Amino acid sequence: MIFAFDIIILVFLVVAALISLSVKDLLSASMIYGIYGFLICLLWAEMGAVDVAFTEASVGAGVSTVLLIATVFNTRRRSSD
Amino acid sequence: MIVTVISVVFILAGLVFFIGGAVGLIRFPDFYTRTHAAGKGDTLSSLLVILGFSIYQLHDFESFSHDWLTLLVILKLLGISAFILITSPTSTHALMDAGWEDGTKPKIHPDRPNHLNDDCEKF
Amino acid sequence: MLSKVFATIAVAITGSILLYGVSDFPAFGDPHSPANAGVPGSESVSLYFIEESYKDTKVPNLVTSVLADYRGYDTMFETVVIFAAGMAIFAILRVVGNKEEEVSREPVENSFTNGDHSRIIVGTTVRIVVPVIQLFALYVVAHGHHSPGGGFQGGVILGASFIIIALAENLNAALRRLSEQNYVRLAVVGIFIYALFGVMAQVLGRNFLDYGVLAPLLFTDGPEMARSHSMLGVEVGVAFTVTAIMFAIYANLSSRGQLEKGL
Repeated sequence: MIFAFDIIILVFLVVAALISLSVKDLLSASMIYGIYGFLICLLWAEMGAVDVAFTEASVGAGVSTVLLIATVFNTRRRSSD
Repeated sequence: MIVTVISVVFILAGLVFFIGGAVGLIRFPDFYTRTHAAGKGDTLSSLLVILGFSIYQLHDFESFSHDWLTLLVILKLLGISAFILITSPTSTHALMDAGWEDGTKPKIHPDRPNHLNDDCEKF
Repeated sequence: MLSKVFATIAVAITGSILLYGVSDFPAFGDPHSPANAGVPGSESVSLYFIEESYKDTKVPNLVTSVLADYRGYDTMFETVVIFAAGMAIFAILRVVGNKEEEVSREPVENSFTNGDHSRIIVGTTVRIVVPVIQLFALYVVAHGHHSPGGGFQGGVILGASFIIIALAENLNAALRRLSEQNYVRLAVVGIFIYALFGVMAQVLGRNFLDYGVLAPLLFTDGPEMARSHSMLGVEVGVAFTVTAIMFAIYANLSSRGQLEKGL
């Protein structure tokens, strides 16, 4: 594990989480949520938890993004708040 | 030693193309050119970086019977690169096609010939 | 607006309390922390897993042996939670009845590659890639003992391969390969396989999910290999349920419960 690399991924992670919470367009929010899932997968793989990272890569960055986009497609695209 | 140098050359070339893709993603004017830059840059640079990794695996290679696990790792890396070679251009194509069906028009300089309205019906 | 202010204050207070708690944590990977070394007078359970799990189960991947054997009861009900999520999707979204006409699911000749040019490119790539993805998913399920992976990951990848088919053509193409009846059956069969291993251990006179006693049934010598093989069976059950439920959630979400057309 490389400490500087951890910190860089962690900063990107927090930025992606804040953007996906604050953006109004729900399609963009779900795409950025996928980026968040991929970044946390990278962080876990880098810290040695390969099993958890593999689960997050398949579930968080893969399928859940597709499910969120399918939901946005069938509902409204703008956030109400 | 020579293997390490060759792999570093491949990885650096991949990083150069990554930077090119990122600059193109920011600097290009419209959706199609940006997707073009990101898709092509990503594909080629991922292939080069993975090729560099697989060459680096040979750095303490002695004999086929002794180091066959290393060859297995190289085979897996080449499998990943073949997967990227197939899927990455297809996803770029699907993205551009979705943009075209959504009605995104490319930006064309006013002095240039513009055939956009002719071709719209054909595709 | 006022609710946002209150929410921000609540989040800030909770976050500062959590950050205050983090300062008492041991360092990352510290071998002398109580979680790793135990407190004086009682051994740590993680030390036991690290030292003894290979002797107990003959499974090199520590995570799999803890997940499917020592903690198997928990994993079984995780699978049940996923099953319950799928059933909730059915209860909320699925539209049953008032169909105008029965949708025909007859296979169209070479349905991936006819149509416009975009359908040809994406369809051909999907035809090449989907068998590789499914083979990789089966590898992840079956090889979860020796490398990262297991039932959940393999099941999600296998479900994602059906989702890719549905995205590349339409939902009917995926439903021809895994119909609604079949995926509900698959989800039930997955949990049934898991519970069967537990009940068989009970029938043979040990605790629920105590796999070591299954050695004569699985034709292995000794309880260690029986535990290893039972873990494989259990993970196959988990993979069945997760595959079916992932595809069921996508099919119902993308078609508003109609199971027609989709995205």
